[in-house]
Amino acid sequence: MVDAARHPRINILSYAEVERVGGYIGNFKVKVLQKPRYVLEDRCNGCGLCAPVCPIEVPNEFEESIAPRKAIYVPQPQSVPLVYTVDLDNCIKCYKCVEACGKLEAIDFAMQPQELDLDVGTIIVATGFDTFDPTPIEEYGYGQYDNVLTAVELERLHNSAGPTVGKLIRPSDGQIPRSVAFVQCVGSRDSRYHEYCSGFCCMYTIKNALVLKGLYPDMEISIFYIDIRTPAKSYEEFYQRARNEGIRFIQGRPAQITEDLVTKNLFIEAEDRDLGEVIELEAEMVVLSTAAVPRQGAGILGQALTIPNDPSGFYMEYHPKLRPIDTPTEGVFLAGAAQGPKDIPASVAQGSGAAARAGRIMAADKWEIEPIVAVVWEDRCINATGRKCGICATNCPYNAIIVEPDRAAQVIPALCHGCGACVAECPHNAITQMHFTDAQIIAQLHALLAEKPEEKILAFMCHWCSFGGADNAGTSHFEYPATSRGIRVMCSARMDSDFVFEAFRRGAGMVLVSGCHPQDCHYITGQHHAAIRFDRLAGMLERIGISPERFRIEWISAAEGDKYARVIREMDETLHSLGAERIKAENKEVRPQLERRLRRLSEIPGVAEVLGLESGKKK
Amino acid sequence: MVPRAKLDLQFKEEVMAEPGGEHLLRCLSCGTCMAACLIRRVEPEYNPRRILHRAAMGLREEVLSSPLIWLCSACDACYKRCPQDIHISNIFAAFRNIALREGYTPPGPVAQVNERTCVGCGLCVEVCPYDAVELVQKRVLGREKTVSQVDPAKCISCGVCAASCRSGSIDLVDFSDEAVFEVVREQFMMEAA
Repeated sequence: MVDAARHPRINILSYAEVERVGGYIGNFKVKVLQKPRYVLEDRCNGCGLCAPVCPIEVPNEFEESIAPRKAIYVPQPQSVPLVYTVDLDNCIKCYKCVEACGKLEAIDFAMQPQELDLDVGTIIVATGFDTFDPTPIEEYGYGQYDNVLTAVELERLHNSAGPTVGKLIRPSDGQIPRSVAFVQCVGSRDSRYHEYCSGFCCMYTIKNALVLKGLYPDMEISIFYIDIRTPAKSYEEFYQRARNEGIRFIQGRPAQITEDLVTKNLFIEAEDRDLGEVIELEAEMVVLSTAAVPRQGAGILGQALTIPNDPSGFYMEYHPKLRPIDTPTEGVFLAGAAQGPKDIPASVAQGSGAAARAGRIMAADKWEIEPIVAVVWEDRCINATGRKCGICATNCPYNAIIVEPDRAAQVIPALCHGCGACVAECPHNAITQMHFTDAQIIAQLHALLAEKPEEKILAFMCHWCSFGGADNAGTSHFEYPATSRGIRVMCSARMDSDFVFEAFRRGAGMVLVSGCHPQDCHYITGQHHAAIRFDRLAGMLERIGISPERFRIEWISAAEGDKYARVIREMDETLHSLGAERIKAENKEVRPQLERRLRRLSEIPGVAEVLGLESGKKK
Repeated sequence: MVPRAKLDLQFKEEVMAEPGGEHLLRCLSCGTCMAACLIRRVEPEYNPRRILHRAAMGLREEVLSSPLIWLCSACDACYKRCPQDIHISNIFAAFRNIALREGYTPPGPVAQVNERTCVGCGLCVEVCPYDAVELVQKRVLGREKTVSQVDPAKCISCGVCAASCRSGSIDLVDFSDEAVFEVVREQFMMEAA
């Protein structure tokens, strides 16, 4: 850290928040709020003469509230930069610190928050994690019983730079405990709180146990676990060492911890599964290994950077296997636990990776972006005529469209990720997506439904999920009937209602629209817009007179090949039970209504030719 | 040894299809339920974790014929603590329903109704936490009357009915009023004498 602070080309902005991020890869504009420390960074030399004279003591966050800090403080003795900060919420403005600071005159209560505008090429998010507060798990007694601690609190107590100078003492009586029990998976692997495994707690518990064994060789140490997870290099050997040193491992998750009111010792009730019996272990101290949880405030930063969250609340990577460091926003990368709980070696490796990913961009003069971006037909955009629209911008998950009064909407190509939501939502067909234009998709549709359309299922699939799912069905040899014909777009958001109308107008037997599950959408909110649109569409189709079974909405992930096959099988059965005659009759009946809804379709550039081709054929 | 022939691999599907048994396979055998269980304190053989695992493994006969599946009192101490959010008493209800259909009878004992003295007031029906008592029309000693009737599949012998009955017409077999009075007499009145 000190090296980083002294590096001439690294600027550390501490006690600051990112407020807003605009721009795009290579050209980000970041607004930073520098909060006032009331201490001048260029004058404070970290001498610490101010703190002892400060009369105010408050809980010390770094010491997990075990020890106090003053209202003027550094977070921890090795903070970088070593500059003090005044906690104005608790400061009583007695100015004793100013007196103690003396000639340095580093304390300035008149400081104001400052806004900084930064031009940066790339962004790396490494905001880390928080720990789970186990108070809600009443059966473990944290917050009720003095001698039940979290693992982080324990770390402070056995750390020689900690509040007890490395002496492990019990909160109740200040004595060194003769027995300590560790409980694993507190808040992790628990569908009541966090389903995931936090990954590093088994290792840090074994480490803590070995540290304590080293400090207090006669201490009885037990670890209650569901599984011991020590997968990486030399981790298993570390576990073996702990076992050999007499640390007791009990496979059985505790159901209840109770306290002896006199001694303040704790009784842990758990089934020792290897014995097949419930044991009640008395321990003088209990340490809970709590889950790693997403950082508080991460959501707000995520919004500023348009980084979606995964279902557990950590930042979502572009692809869990193929691009685990990138975010869906080009030029923004993830490192460390912000992307998911991981230990130090993994975090460091990912940090190096993020630096490399960012370095590639900054070393280049030009950057190639995906060509499948949205483009506005300015002569069709009604916002240009003075009428206020902006529907495209509202639907864009990336704030990639700028709508100003009396101007056509403008797409920022570098921010556009190509979901197509704007294209499908534009009520005036004034915006298109390169390589996924309406004309191209309708041309595909016509080709697929050219022969015996009433015997076919037309399936719209999104590139990332349902198309992957269909592909997965194929490679896994899940059999399904050959009645389906697929059209791929990047996101279900692109699936225009007009496509479905056109499909039925062209005589399709059944139509399937499919995409990602809500939490998986590659384009953050694309699926969400699609879901709303499809629900409305289903109602419309039924009112027009199309049997509801002929239109189906399904959310299928790339791994759900079996689901895709099953859906097509079911639709095929329905198709056959309805029968070609009934379908043809229905299609004929509803044609006028569909044509009415599609009357503006031919206005869209390129579509008229496609329709012309079709009407030119004999049918 | 568990020979392959003894395993019914469809049993877990059967349990999951039964209302209440849906989440059988979520169980990771962590043992929290066993440690929390109130019944195991009195009956050490009773291990809900092991029973769930037996079912998941396919030991159908063993699970359904066992008297242990009738011991769960649905106190839900386990459910509150289960990290996989399994409603374990519901899984036991699923076991019981399948067992009943197979022709297994609950081992009992259950509450007994003295149909002669029962006046059909329905208080026991109201207080039973397990919905195990109902009022029925029966012919008792030549007369049609309304009496309560215990469902042996649902009664777990908690005794709330016995405590509530005004006429002493419903009682537990092994914790009858008489038996309890005897203990009281032994423990307390002997000292007075």
